[in-house]
Amino acid sequence: MLFQWGLQKKQKEKKEPTIQQERDQSGQAQDVPREPIHSLLDVNLDIIRHTTGNSSDIVIRRFTIGQERSIRAALIFIDGLADEKNVYQFLLEPLMAATFPISLSSKDTLSFVEKKLAAVGGIKRISHWFDLFLALTSGETIILLDGMPSALSASTKGGETRAIQEPQTQLAIRGPRDGFTESLRMNTALIRRRIKNPNLWLETLKIGEVTQTDVAIMYVKGIANDDIVEEVKKRLRSIRIDSVLESGDIEQLIEDQTFTTFPTMYHTERPDVVAANLLEGRVAIFVEGTPFVLVAPALFIQFFQAVEDYYARFDIATALRFLRVLIFFLSLVAPAIYIAATTFHQEMIPTQLVIAIAAQREAVPFPAFVEALVMEVVFEILREAGVRLPRAVGQAVSIVGALVIGQAAVEAGFVSSAMVIVVSITAIASFATPSFAIAISARLIRFALMFLAAMFGFYGIIMGILVMTIHLCSLRSFGVPYMSPLAPFIPSNVGDTLFRVPTWAFKERPRLISQKNIVRQGEHQRPQPSSINRQEENEGEQS
Amino acid sequence: MEPVKINARQLFVLIVLFEHGSSIVIPLGVGAKQDVWLAILLGLTFGLLLFFVYYRLHRYYPDAPLTAYAQDIAGPWVGKILAFIYIVYFLYIASRVLRDFGELLLTFAYPETPLFILNAIMMLAVMYGVYKGIEVVARTGELFLTFLYLLAVSGFILIISTGLVDLHRLQPVLEEGWKRVWKVVFTETLYVPFGEMIVFTMLFPYMNNPKKMKQVAIAGMALSGINLAIIMTINIAVLGADVAARSTFPLLDTIRKIQVANFLERLDIFFMIALIIGGFFKVSVFFYAAVIGTANLFHMQNHQRLVYLLGLMVLLLSIAIASNYPEHIKEGLKIVTIYMHVPLQIIIPLCLLVAAAIRRRSFKQQ
Repeated sequence: MLFQWGLQKKQKEKKEPTIQQERDQSGQAQDVPREPIHSLLDVNLDIIRHTTGNSSDIVIRRFTIGQERSIRAALIFIDGLADEKNVYQFLLEPLMAATFPISLSSKDTLSFVEKKLAAVGGIKRISHWFDLFLALTSGETIILLDGMPSALSASTKGGETRAIQEPQTQLAIRGPRDGFTESLRMNTALIRRRIKNPNLWLETLKIGEVTQTDVAIMYVKGIANDDIVEEVKKRLRSIRIDSVLESGDIEQLIEDQTFTTFPTMYHTERPDVVAANLLEGRVAIFVEGTPFVLVAPALFIQFFQAVEDYYARFDIATALRFLRVLIFFLSLVAPAIYIAATTFHQEMIPTQLVIAIAAQREAVPFPAFVEALVMEVVFEILREAGVRLPRAVGQAVSIVGALVIGQAAVEAGFVSSAMVIVVSITAIASFATPSFAIAISARLIRFALMFLAAMFGFYGIIMGILVMTIHLCSLRSFGVPYMSPLAPFIPSNVGDTLFRVPTWAFKERPRLISQKNIVRQGEHQRPQPSSINRQEENEGEQS
Repeated sequence: MEPVKINARQLFVLIVLFEHGSSIVIPLGVGAKQDVWLAILLGLTFGLLLFFVYYRLHRYYPDAPLTAYAQDIAGPWVGKILAFIYIVYFLYIASRVLRDFGELLLTFAYPETPLFILNAIMMLAVMYGVYKGIEVVARTGELFLTFLYLLAVSGFILIISTGLVDLHRLQPVLEEGWKRVWKVVFTETLYVPFGEMIVFTMLFPYMNNPKKMKQVAIAGMALSGINLAIIMTINIAVLGADVAARSTFPLLDTIRKIQVANFLERLDIFFMIALIIGGFFKVSVFFYAAVIGTANLFHMQNHQRLVYLLGLMVLLLSIAIASNYPEHIKEGLKIVTIYMHVPLQIIIPLCLLVAAAIRRRSFKQQ
């Protein structure tokens, strides 16, 4: 049965019993035959039909090669995976029009077909059923000849894929507009176009016993830290799972720590982000079938770096960085501070403000904590509804949400309007965080902090943040401390954290990530346009 | 011993945070009235002398903590007893600081919350940090020291700009002569916070760059001493010597005086953040030393399991050591100084150093 395909192959190679086989005995489907490919064409075709359950998308085209001395042959490919035009134009046509030289022995027919007739780029000889089916399901075309105990697979991968479009997440005002697609090959090509260097290395492996998904590791040799590359490979190789449908499947199996709300791997849809990360010495993991590419190791501060920071001028970028950290902090503590200030520390609010808030809260029947909790939960419900709904209905939700929460709840006296303001600020702040992965962890922690604030006021909030910071400092991503270069403090890398120094001052790559090759740019990169002006002036004087 | 290393910067940060600890919030050395800055700086000077004793001891045994080399110098039996005494001392001081911290919080912000709950929350955070190891605590310190400095600088600017500082309150210098200053130095400021550097003899072996250790530790102590002197001087200059001496938390009273444009007032949160950060690191360092010392004394591979047990002990001790705050303060000033600080911070380390030097010399002659 299907699940055991990969396992049997591995068993043959390693001769070690696997647990998976024992675990999965439920299927009744036909196994992939273990024996090598048969020499009789009809038998082979029968086996293919039988194994694939006569699936209707498998095209089997029978024909004969040669004029006087003819030989029966068949082309097999999967409709929709293989590029049909290529199959007919470069395989079927030359094969059908071919004539065999008289001197050709029947043994050499296959190599003659391989060398002279098949006009496609990649061609491979196959002698095992396992390889045959793997090639077939990857979109290659199989050529079977009568009387030959082996087959040829020709690379005709094609079929419809989504065109390169602007990424749906991580939009940028300035910057390239292309985004990754579901096709792995196209994605790696997008990076190759950006880094034209032979040191950009790519390694592919298949993960998923059933799905046999292509997973590619990309890094720049000489910049990436070899230990980290090895670690990534080791963790990927140790994955034993039936299916990989998205990079998230892999992320959860190779991340350093599961029990944390913070993401220890970065994912992006933007090729320019991946290219920049590769050049900092990180490793990118591409997964076939998803536009989201994983980047490791990831640092905490990375989730606050929007791609535009590097395209915009440094002063603007720095201001935006500060704003983003502030935003993250707000989305963490805004409701908690409201609860603490109204419940415990009224004396810390200026008198007029506290009177205004107290007047609003007079009619509210709930304590501040319940009020805040209800509003936050309602908002989370609205957001969750908004994400999944079809676009046409989404507007209705936002109208209902705005009216019900914004106005009706206040007018009915369920919540105070100050609370609505706080919830709105929190909501907008959590949308404004550049990375969804970190915004969502803030959403979870926010509720814990609200609870602590209700119990202990500001003391609870500060302790909550203290414990969160200890936790953040204890995290590592592929061995690199998560909070670096802030803690441990690395002076030469701090220029790209809370603030961004001018581009000419980016002298070094992150030290902990790219350990050996850290020089990023030459000396004297600071622009000095005044010398040109002076020259012109001098020329003017001379003339 | 954990298999981790901390770098010079992290040791510096830990020392600074530790020395500030609870000292910034309590009336440190106010017995010297307007000469408090002199008392603190003199305490620092003698504290540095004490530090050299600890440092020499560390140089004799660069890879071992205090509890280990005490056994080597004083022999297995006496050494084990000494090590045990030090562990109990660290645990006791940890619970004292925790009690201080809880009492401060109780009096100024949470009069109706039970002390045990306040202490328990703090202790849970300390246990979590120590469970994760000294490296994590040090990294957390790096982040929070920056934060603390930002707070301190903004508070300083606010105090100066609102015109609260009256330098005449610092005069006359040496009103009653040197005697009052020396008394404060040798009964208070020398031991807390500077003599408490003894606890770092447990952390020195973790240093990855021992060459820099001396200058880093001296810089850390000096910076803390100067900062503390500045803070206490500002307290006196804002409140006046008499009010500051009678106040339970002079820094809180100073901060409460800040009023800018009827908006920036009652900045108690500044005080609370400083209190929590300082308290956390002071308790953490003492508690970590106790945990590592215990693991070392009883030859345990993993210190993490001790955290639960000893953490609970510190928490319960912090409640049990005194029945009320005045008793706690009186114990701290009278009993602890004479019976614990003087022998454990000065006498025993000096004896160990002399013994180690003699042994080393006779060893060389042989």
